Amino acid sequence: MKNNVSRWLFLAFMLTGAAALSGCWDIKDINHRSLPIVMGVKETAGTYQVLLLIPDASPSQTNVKIISQTGSTINEILDQIDKNMENKVDLLHLKVILFERSVAEKGLSQSIESFMRSRDISNKTLTAISEGALEPLFEKLKSSSSNGGMEIYDFFEKNAGWSPEVVQTRIWEVFRSMNSFTRDVVIPTIKPGHTTTIESTGAAMIKNGKMVGVIDSEETLLYNLFKGAGTQGKIEVMHRATVKIVADRLTRSSVMREGSAMMIGRLHLKVTVLETVGDPTVAEIKKEIDEQLSTRLQAMLRTAQSKEADILGLGQLYRDKLSRENLRQWRSKYYPFMKIEFKVHVIVQDGGLLKIKS
Amino acid sequence: MLLPAFLKSRQARDMDLFLHSLYLAEEPVVLAGYTSLIDLPQTIVMLRQLALNADDAGKPLFDRDSGVGTPLREPGEQEVLDALAAGDALICSESGDRWLRLVPVGRTLSRALESPTTENVLRGAISAFNEDLDTNVGLVKKHMSSDMLRIRSYTLGLSQRRKTVLLYAEGKIREPLLRSIVQKLETLPDRDISDLQALSAFFGFSKWSPITRFNTSELPQEAAFALEHGKAVLLLDRFPFALVLPSLLSDMFVSQNDRNFPVIIMFSFRILRILGVLVNVLLPGLYVALVSVNPEVLRIEIALSIAGSREGVPYPSLVETLLLLLVLELTLESAIRLPKTIGPTITMVGGIILGQAVVQAKLVSNVLIIILAASTIANFTVIGFQNATALRLYKYLLLVLSAMFGVLGLFIGIVVICAYFSYGNTFGIPYLSRWKAGRRYG
Amino acid sequence: MDKSRQTIVMFWIVHVGLIFFLYPADIIGSLSVGHWSAVLLGFIIHVSLVALYTKGLSYCAPLNVIDLFQRVGRLFAFAMLLPLAVYFVLIIIITVRAYAEIVTVIFLGNTPLWTIMLLFLAVSVFICQLGVESIFRTGILIALLFFPFLILVLILSFQNADWHYLLPLMDRDAATFAYALRRPFLKSLFAFIGGFLFLGFIPSRVSYQSRKIVYASLGLLPFFLASVYIPLLTFGENTASKFPFPFIMAVDTVDVSWLMFDRVTMFFMISLLCFVILFLSLVMWMTLLLLKRGMPALKAPTAGLLLAAAIYIVCLLVPNWNAVERLMWWNTVPRLYAAFVIPLAVFALGLRHRRRETVRP
Repeated sequence: MKNNVSRWLFLAFMLTGAAALSGCWDIKDINHRSLPIVMGVKETAGTYQVLLLIPDASPSQTNVKIISQTGSTINEILDQIDKNMENKVDLLHLKVILFERSVAEKGLSQSIESFMRSRDISNKTLTAISEGALEPLFEKLKSSSSNGGMEIYDFFEKNAGWSPEVVQTRIWEVFRSMNSFTRDVVIPTIKPGHTTTIESTGAAMIKNGKMVGVIDSEETLLYNLFKGAGTQGKIEVMHRATVKIVADRLTRSSVMREGSAMMIGRLHLKVTVLETVGDPTVAEIKKEIDEQLSTRLQAMLRTAQSKEADILGLGQLYRDKLSRENLRQWRSKYYPFMKIEFKVHVIVQDGGLLKIKS
Repeated sequence: MLLPAFLKSRQARDMDLFLHSLYLAEEPVVLAGYTSLIDLPQTIVMLRQLALNADDAGKPLFDRDSGVGTPLREPGEQEVLDALAAGDALICSESGDRWLRLVPVGRTLSRALESPTTENVLRGAISAFNEDLDTNVGLVKKHMSSDMLRIRSYTLGLSQRRKTVLLYAEGKIREPLLRSIVQKLETLPDRDISDLQALSAFFGFSKWSPITRFNTSELPQEAAFALEHGKAVLLLDRFPFALVLPSLLSDMFVSQNDRNFPVIIMFSFRILRILGVLVNVLLPGLYVALVSVNPEVLRIEIALSIAGSREGVPYPSLVETLLLLLVLELTLESAIRLPKTIGPTITMVGGIILGQAVVQAKLVSNVLIIILAASTIANFTVIGFQNATALRLYKYLLLVLSAMFGVLGLFIGIVVICAYFSYGNTFGIPYLSRWKAGRRYG
Repeated sequence: MDKSRQTIVMFWIVHVGLIFFLYPADIIGSLSVGHWSAVLLGFIIHVSLVALYTKGLSYCAPLNVIDLFQRVGRLFAFAMLLPLAVYFVLIIIITVRAYAEIVTVIFLGNTPLWTIMLLFLAVSVFICQLGVESIFRTGILIALLFFPFLILVLILSFQNADWHYLLPLMDRDAATFAYALRRPFLKSLFAFIGGFLFLGFIPSRVSYQSRKIVYASLGLLPFFLASVYIPLLTFGENTASKFPFPFIMAVDTVDVSWLMFDRVTMFFMISLLCFVILFLSLVMWMTLLLLKRGMPALKAPTAGLLLAAAIYIVCLLVPNWNAVERLMWWNTVPRLYAAFVIPLAVFALGLRHRRRETVRP
């Protein structure tokens, strides 16, 4: 008896399922969707222009095409593109969002918020700022594409072509910085390369969703070191030697002294020597690395402080030392006057396959 | 009508019925039996010897303790026919008033012991059951030489009498299980038990359930192992498989033969089989779910290559998958029917020609071919053909659900199947129970 | 037969399924600093209620809640259990509706809501018809399949954690429990309360040791904390409070390059949804048990189908997320009743029952 019941129910369940299937909703197979990999956003005279880099899948080869459209909001533009395309445009696999520099300088908040709100755009999508106009960059991406426009994604991807002078900033990080009292971000800046597809030019400081300044590639490396985004394998060029960073560790401690913030940072580096100019001793190499990195950090910090952009997220260290009201004013009241005492502690692990003077 | 006369008239209908007159212990008698079942010359030689022995001992031939056979007291027609049909010989006095039933020298109508044909053994006893019930019981006894082994025999069916033997290990089997099996068997059905469907209807199992309630095995060692672990084994005459009750989920993954390997290898085998089941059941559904509903889950590289390979395929992924699955199922089914000599040909036709051509003709994507091939191979990592076939069915439920709800549908399908598994039970023993000799865990 | 293990697994499944979707947003919404205090407060309430409830039940061992109340009197049982039945029906409605909405928001944007609700209800009716023992066994199987994966994703989701967001640990608001009567906190209690009532309904052949259950409930604390703190550590309070499903957003930021799938989160969410379906079927089973006591004329399958149909119709009538939130708020009163009155009553009656038992011989 009970057996019958369950079977009956099971059948009913299957039938309703089939009925539901017959009233089929909007399911589109993957080959009927266009999956843009890169989205470019630019603004001209109050109207947005969106460029999409879409790989054109076919069994034998993958081409890329560029679609562009103008309109007053990004969503409206996407609707327009969708209407005109033979496939459904699906932003599920969007990997990189490129902003033109002018857009970034005007402010990204609006677009970032709509990207975060959107169901299809993953909040892991990378962001980048194009130094020049978007079109040449897209053309370059298209002409040099060999595997469906994945180059720019590989450029940023950690297990592909990423290098420590490039920042990875995802839209959720930008969104977080827009809502945070104590943390700003940098967004990598790129331009089309001469021989390579893309050339990294450093990064842009973003404060509250607005671009306020730039840092160069070497400072970007330092930024990555500071963020703890594994900089292994990095080659550091100095006057007297070239070294490769094998391991790094950063310790920070923060204090409030008489109402002003003070920080002590220690960077522990393990390096191996790749090349020497002349015949420096280990002690000299150590000293040089320390000096070079410290001055660079201080310089970067000063630029950032003058723009009140806390790109290193130093305010995070004062979360328990300042009240919430004071934290709210961190950027204006404390950060510009904060002092940092930075020392690099270097261990020269080895000198490669040649001996070096100790 | 006198019985000899009845048998004579019967001879007209059964051409293999013989009525042989002869003298045994100086008494004229008629020997009756089926030539198709009895080796007549050998039987006569044996009879003469027996009669001589009886005579020497001074016992009359038709006496109970003459040692020749069992006397029948005024047997009816049906009784005589039953005895003959069972392959026994009858001796009847000239006058037809005294009858003796005896076990003759039979013809060999069974295979010799062979290696199993559906279950390969790599390391372990290789002999398999055959059609002869006594041989089978003997095989089990050989594999389990223990005084705990109990054997009960039943004859089931009305027109077709089918001998059935129930084996169990006293003290190891769970009492309630034994009680319910014996109770069922003792009701002696009025239906013929010609196949397992009839048997499972007789036991009151659900007719439609894809979960097998009998775990079948061709190997005496598996049967002995089951007995030692407190399960019951049914042997049917003319059925070269042991039926193990109850059947459990673990039977899909655990074989006694594994224990002939080191423990770590045993566990790797089992994990492999579990993975096999998951791969087999999930992969086709996953493909459909990812391709048509949730492409965002795929990495972009895979997404692009699948999109590329599906370019030009005219129908949705569900139909695509169903089509190819149909071809695969047809191949599997035909491979069973095919003579062994043609088998390799169909492999070539199915594998190389169809597989290659179907992609080039853009009927299905080549990623799907890989997926279905993997799924089909994985299907047979499971122990027991009956389990493998059941798994083939579940795949379709998941396929349909995935086509509707994507990955969500796939997972919910898993839940439904799990729930169905947990509902299944054999004589009150849940399909999912973990079996330990004499005890039961939830 | 001791089936503590099954009961514990079911207990975990039910709670883990409820924790990760709505609970974090409620906690993050109820205070701005020191969220652990809110989590702990809820948790302590939860554990003490579970302890009280199971203790009371163990005093009157073979009886379940319904029998226990009926001993006192038919009218009493009716009065006590009617609000409970209402509560059960309400949570089925809310859960089905809310989770269907979550599904469309997160990963099935194109699928109409009614089909998803139909799927949920159909599957849970199917499972609940198989009986409570089947539900429990399904729970074990599902847990074996999904739990390793859940734990993996849970560990992975600390990838983007910035531990500085833990600080400050306390402020006045958190220390004085001022949030305890705020709306979001009261709403957050559903994650603690919906789950454990089933302990009083399971038949005596599925027995369990109450002490083990209480210990097992302690094991849930990491899940509660993780569900709130993973989004907090990833985004910070300011940002996390902007999301309706903070935990899902936080897990979405996890980037694992060595897995063959891009959004592992989806599998995580769906495993949780499967737990929710088990929860639904369990609640539905309890509701049917209550209904059948109230109206013996109803037969098992028809009653289940009728209940599901009724719930489905109500679900269809809920127009939007705001309405769901309102329903949840309305459900607070029956919830508090179910959370406090029922365990206390069970404990009191259990105590009385035991006194009588000891006096009588």
